[in-house]
Amino acid sequence: MKISKQDVLHVARLAELAVDDAELETLTGQLDRIVEYVAQLEALPSEQTATSFHPGPAAVRLRADVVAPVPLARPPEAFAPAMRDGLFVVPRLGAQEDA
Amino acid sequence: MTPSTVAVQTAERLTAAAGLNATLDWSPELLATEATAAEAIGAGALHGMALAVKDNIVTAEQPTTCASKILEGYQSPFTATAVNRLRAAGGMVACKANLDEFAMGSSTEHSAYGRVLHPMNPDLVPGGSSGGSAALVAAGVVPAALGSETGGSVRQPASFCGIVGVKPSYGLVSRWGLVAFGSSLDCISVFGDTVARSARVLEAISGHDPQDATTFEREPLAPFVPRTDLKGLRVGLPKEYFPDDLDPAIRAGCNRTIALLRELGAELVEVSLPHTAYAVPTYYVLNPAEAAANLARFDGVRYGARRVGLAGDLRALYQATRGQGFGPEVRRRILVGTYVLSAGYYDAYYARAQQVRRHLALDFQNAFAAGVDLLFTPTTPSTAFAAGANTGDPVAMYLADVFVCAVSLAGLPALSIPIGRDQGLPIGGQLIAPFMQDGAMLAAADVMERHLDATGEVR
Amino acid sequence: MTTTWETVVGLEVHVQLATASKMFCGCSTTFGEAPNTNVCPVCLGLPGALPVPNEQAIRLATRAALALECTVHETSVFARKNYFYPDLPKGYQISQFDQPLATGGVLRCESPDRGPLAVGITRLHVEEDAGKSLHDRFPGLTAVDLNRAGVPLAEIVSEPDLRSPAEARAYLTAIRQLLVFAGISDCSMEKGSLRVDANLSVRPMGQTTLGTRTEVKNMNSFANVERALEAERARQIALIEGGGRVQQVSLLFNAATGEVRPMRSKEDSHDYRYFPDPDLPPLIVTQAWIEGERSALPELPDAMRARLASQYGLSAYDAGVLSGEVAIARYFEAVVAAGAEAKASANWIMGEALTDWNVLERFPVNPGIMAGLIALVANGTVSHQAGRKVYTELSARGGDPLAVAQHLGLVQVRDESALETWVDEVLAACPAEVGRFKGGEAKLMGFLTGQVMRRSGGKADPKGIQVVLVRKLS
Repeated sequence: MKISKQDVLHVARLAELAVDDAELETLTGQLDRIVEYVAQLEALPSEQTATSFHPGPAAVRLRADVVAPVPLARPPEAFAPAMRDGLFVVPRLGAQEDA
Repeated sequence: MTPSTVAVQTAERLTAAAGLNATLDWSPELLATEATAAEAIGAGALHGMALAVKDNIVTAEQPTTCASKILEGYQSPFTATAVNRLRAAGGMVACKANLDEFAMGSSTEHSAYGRVLHPMNPDLVPGGSSGGSAALVAAGVVPAALGSETGGSVRQPASFCGIVGVKPSYGLVSRWGLVAFGSSLDCISVFGDTVARSARVLEAISGHDPQDATTFEREPLAPFVPRTDLKGLRVGLPKEYFPDDLDPAIRAGCNRTIALLRELGAELVEVSLPHTAYAVPTYYVLNPAEAAANLARFDGVRYGARRVGLAGDLRALYQATRGQGFGPEVRRRILVGTYVLSAGYYDAYYARAQQVRRHLALDFQNAFAAGVDLLFTPTTPSTAFAAGANTGDPVAMYLADVFVCAVSLAGLPALSIPIGRDQGLPIGGQLIAPFMQDGAMLAAADVMERHLDATGEVR
Repeated sequence: MTTTWETVVGLEVHVQLATASKMFCGCSTTFGEAPNTNVCPVCLGLPGALPVPNEQAIRLATRAALALECTVHETSVFARKNYFYPDLPKGYQISQFDQPLATGGVLRCESPDRGPLAVGITRLHVEEDAGKSLHDRFPGLTAVDLNRAGVPLAEIVSEPDLRSPAEARAYLTAIRQLLVFAGISDCSMEKGSLRVDANLSVRPMGQTTLGTRTEVKNMNSFANVERALEAERARQIALIEGGGRVQQVSLLFNAATGEVRPMRSKEDSHDYRYFPDPDLPPLIVTQAWIEGERSALPELPDAMRARLASQYGLSAYDAGVLSGEVAIARYFEAVVAAGAEAKASANWIMGEALTDWNVLERFPVNPGIMAGLIALVANGTVSHQAGRKVYTELSARGGDPLAVAQHLGLVQVRDESALETWVDEVLAACPAEVGRFKGGEAKLMGFLTGQVMRRSGGKADPKGIQVVLVRKLS
């Protein structure tokens, strides 16, 4: 077993995903199966290291510093789940968590 | 036919095909609006062509759901570059097409809005994740459609449905407005009833976009130069794609196509892509890692369906919104992706997979550098499978991508064309070209298409 | 025996790069707009939006790195820093991680305890800012404004080379001066364009390994950085001397109470799962481009201080004050260029003009007029004292220095007969002092001169008074 229930709960918290007890068992099994499967990458001879690869352009093209936002066909109010006085609102964070 | 006539007829066909469950949002009224705009444009490469658009490509006129409950009711305030370009060429958006939630899947069973049925047999899947787009083209509802590929999500359903599916070179088509899944892999891709029509659509949507830093500074793809045969072309057959245990029908279909390639004047050579066996595991590390970050924005703060009210707790809001809003496959990928990036595991999984990705890309480069112009392989290891066949084991589902995902990791252009049938079900053959040789690949496929008996039984 | 404790401080400074548009989108960086109006698909983190980096932000960050004597790397990589927070629209911040834009620099500043100090700069990288969370706007809610989400920042991390809260403040003063000089940022803590996080640990004097450090946040002025670090140093020393151990935590400074208190420790908050942002190819800058930016750097504070001292023969102190800000130095040099003597110009600017500058943030008396005033004092037309009155008038209402001096009746009287009249009156009025002077108390000359000056209403030329006095008393 590469993945334990604790691992699943740990990454679920990092990913802010609720995982209920009923599905924890199944999910742990599936994740273990997936991680076991991808772990075969370890079998590749270690002398075969290389730099990472991205198929896009070799260098990023920069944008001129011009104020030209992509227009919104409708304002945030049209899609926000909750907004007051133009501000998105969510339940308050613990006061000491603000950084 | 005028765009308006096309629009009316398309609406009739969409209504008649409702049983496929291939469409998400569409309406005759929106189609009429599209027709009016197309008529105002007049001429254009896609004049009067109605296309289905996979619902992970944003359009400002209607909802974009990614077939996920988390985006229920979301209407994008901007439109994808590819859609803007379709319209500028006189094309019309016929409908938003169903898909695996956030394009994660190979069967279009993982949609919050129900699975898409295979047009030839309702018990089968059309492939995925662009199954809605594929089914609509295969059913003759639209002549072409936009899908998206991350690891074969257009070629694989094209193969299952017996149509043409073209994945362009990475960075040839703008991703602006394509809801990101695996950013280093994602390509808006095209389905068509023919190679030529697919090529026209791809030409219209291709080219540099200043809004997407991963597009190349290139002109749009030029129309390919039609050829009468394949004389002078060297076609490589990667031995790793023809394993001993390859399905006999798939092998028969490929053999028939290889014979045709030879008849058309191509020289066939065996090549080796030695890291092929690592492609699927590499893909299923990198893709979830990128997906986990790309899907972090669906947090219920700024848009989308929120599960907890303002009286609740912020973390509960996040966890319930995401836990209930995402389906099982999406959650699996997010968890795997988070795991492979997390402290202590990054080097073993993510960093390792990045290195293997380089080897996979080098395999292709070496093959092409050795004088091969194109590669030919089967697109899928089987014909369309039954709904429910692979939903119990995620890894079994991932293996449906075995012949398509190395290409995605390498960013190369590839396409699937129908090469025959087995017990009435389509078989697809895959052409793979060097980077940015999309046009040469389309020209070769066009010749093949004219000579292939695409609907004949292969054995 | 009591242990002597050494304090070790390293600083992380975030400065907003002075661009017109955001780091990865075309939204304006203007401060103070209505909430969520400077937003677009990119900085709202909408599905389908993609980042494209701002060239000017890279340029400014490069200049900052060069001003800090860093090595600017030809290849650097944008990375995603993953965490959830309501003001972080994408669920990750685009930053730079293992391949930053620049590394290995130095900031020179003056330690109040140790003299000239060269503080190591570990790295400088480019990133985007988060939005603003307002916790007190609506009861029980956190409200989010994304106008500043995506604003370009440079993060500058120092080595743990600072040894006191006062040194930390000196570092901040110097880095702000440098970055403002170089045109990187306006570095206003008030507007949030400069923010500081400080890492502090203590260790017994002589120990070479570092103690456990804490991170102090939420300081809104340089003075408060110093106060917060003093409080944290005291807290750590008391903790250790009481037998406790320092925990590696983040603390918030409360300016009202002067105390630091731990933030609620966020479980897992340090596993940011950095990885290269697949939406952004590597940032490549050529050596030639870097050199171009180096030559585009304006004169920096150290160089300017040295030049003012040598070119104008000023003291180190005067040169330091005049090079405190580019505008002050520019004004000084303009006054000298208009014909005033350098040392006198320095004195007049430091004595008078800087008072205006500190209030008005401009110099109300133009350099030519200022030079004219300095000349009037230098040639004795008005006294130094009277000159200050003329300055005040010029500053408030403008005008020509001589005309103003005349209008105010401040032009010195050198006419011998007028001087004699005042001297005679004083000698008649002060027979005792005259007697003592004649008896050998030479220092009473000063008293008598002052009396004549007063009688003249400040208008008499002091040199002329002395000449007449000496003649009358000898």
